[in-house]
Amino acid sequence: MTAASKDYPQPDRDGDNRPLLDGWQRGQLLLQRCEDCGRDFFYPRPICPNCWSAEVRWHGATGKGTIVSFSLVYRPNHHAFADETPIVLAEVLLEEDVAFLARVVNVEPAAVRIGMTVALLSPVEAARYPLPTFEPSRGPRRRDKIEERG
Amino acid sequence: MKIDVGILGFGQSVYVKRTDRTLFSVLAEAARNALSSSGVRKDEIDGLAVSSFELPPDNAVTLAEQFGMTLSWAYLGTAGGAGPVAALINALRAVEAGQATAVLVLAGDTYDVAGHYRLMDNFNRALKNYGAPNGFGGANGLFAMIQRKHMAAYGTEREELGRIAIGQRASAMRNENAILREPMAMEDYLNARLIADPLRLFDCVLPCAGAEAVIVGSLDRSPPGKGVRVLAGYERHNYPVGELAPLRGGWELFRDRLYNDAGYGPKDMDFVQAYDDYPIMVAIQLEDLEFARKGEVGKFLAGHSFAWNGTFPLNTGGGQLSCGQAGAGGGMIGLTEAVRQLRHEARGRQLKKARRGLVSGYGMVGYGHGLSAGAIILERVP
Repeated sequence: MTAASKDYPQPDRDGDNRPLLDGWQRGQLLLQRCEDCGRDFFYPRPICPNCWSAEVRWHGATGKGTIVSFSLVYRPNHHAFADETPIVLAEVLLEEDVAFLARVVNVEPAAVRIGMTVALLSPVEAARYPLPTFEPSRGPRRRDKIEERG
Repeated sequence: MKIDVGILGFGQSVYVKRTDRTLFSVLAEAARNALSSSGVRKDEIDGLAVSSFELPPDNAVTLAEQFGMTLSWAYLGTAGGAGPVAALINALRAVEAGQATAVLVLAGDTYDVAGHYRLMDNFNRALKNYGAPNGFGGANGLFAMIQRKHMAAYGTEREELGRIAIGQRASAMRNENAILREPMAMEDYLNARLIADPLRLFDCVLPCAGAEAVIVGSLDRSPPGKGVRVLAGYERHNYPVGELAPLRGGWELFRDRLYNDAGYGPKDMDFVQAYDDYPIMVAIQLEDLEFARKGEVGKFLAGHSFAWNGTFPLNTGGGQLSCGQAGAGGGMIGLTEAVRQLRHEARGRQLKKARRGLVSGYGMVGYGHGLSAGAIILERVP
């Protein structure tokens, strides 16, 4: 299935999120980093939400993270998702220490676990999805960084 | 001299699954009932606070035109399900400060299930841009993540959370305005159809049409036993900052001041009306407001019963889980029920001991969770 065959709801492209959406079209996850306090953050904003610095720069994230929690959505809001239920919706803690809401695909829903490591989809598959989307990472599972934050 | 301000009356509209009535019609029904309960005349009301997701393109001032009111104070709720409790706090301060003499605090919507889904896909820019394109399932998908995290972190079990839904349903059976009144057993709760695993049907609220209202003014005009004093109230928005699915909310920041101001602690409450969009959020409020220690609410739930006549009366009219969630009105249903109990007007579900209680609000789902929290402590004026 191609992007054109699905009518997923799309983000509104604006001056704050254009680099994120352009990056994802190339299969990359870009994050904003504050040049003053050094923190990464998501979602896109015109200033750093931590210190209000306007010196924020986009940079490429590793695209790797760990599932902190997840739900299996059987009743998605929008009809475009109806033939893909359950949607695996996850809180992914990125390696950059940013909490990211994302779909996880290419996985049996019943096999998803807290602590599972995930990685960005390949650029070929990425084109189908409106936002950065993950799949279980290949190779041995990492078990660190799964404790609850805060 | 500080005016002794409180709640003089309350009212509700009829709750229905869907309606052809206008939003103004449903809001007007609750407003008229509150006015009649308060003994205040319509032309004495000079303040209006309204919380309603469907109100735009209208607002508090154009609602005043619809209702033929002239106002010296107007307030539009912005905190979703936490809006009405915040509105009440602000209305009290407005009367104390002399900006108004009597305020109508009003909340409601005319939703159904489809309307609720449309609302959630456009709730705010962050959710529209970074939630909806993921097929996030609205609030259900997000709160399922919170519940799973609570279960994993603290060992909380569905059988424990189910006691909230079951207790509230028993109260709803004594409330003719509740939409869901069939008896519910633990089996029904545990085996209901999956909505967003681990949430099942009876963890979720039924979007519906309805409205709630109270009148705020000087307590010296209320008859004996009919006035309700607000001993303390606080609100907090966007806390904790930057977390996606936190297991705590703004209540933990103000609870000490809340209880200190009131002069009473959690153990002195005769009932709790907590914001019940999901049992897991009721559980988290019970922790943050110190009815149970953080992480130990499961044990607390297992040790109590939650119907109006149970060991811990909770959402004694059935709450949103059984009455239905009338949009922003869901943030006020606990307030009107508290006032009803404190005035001893709850008939078939009247608590024997109803001197004071706590009402909490929660809402405005942002990127992952409800951003706003509030709580008030109310006391019957003898």
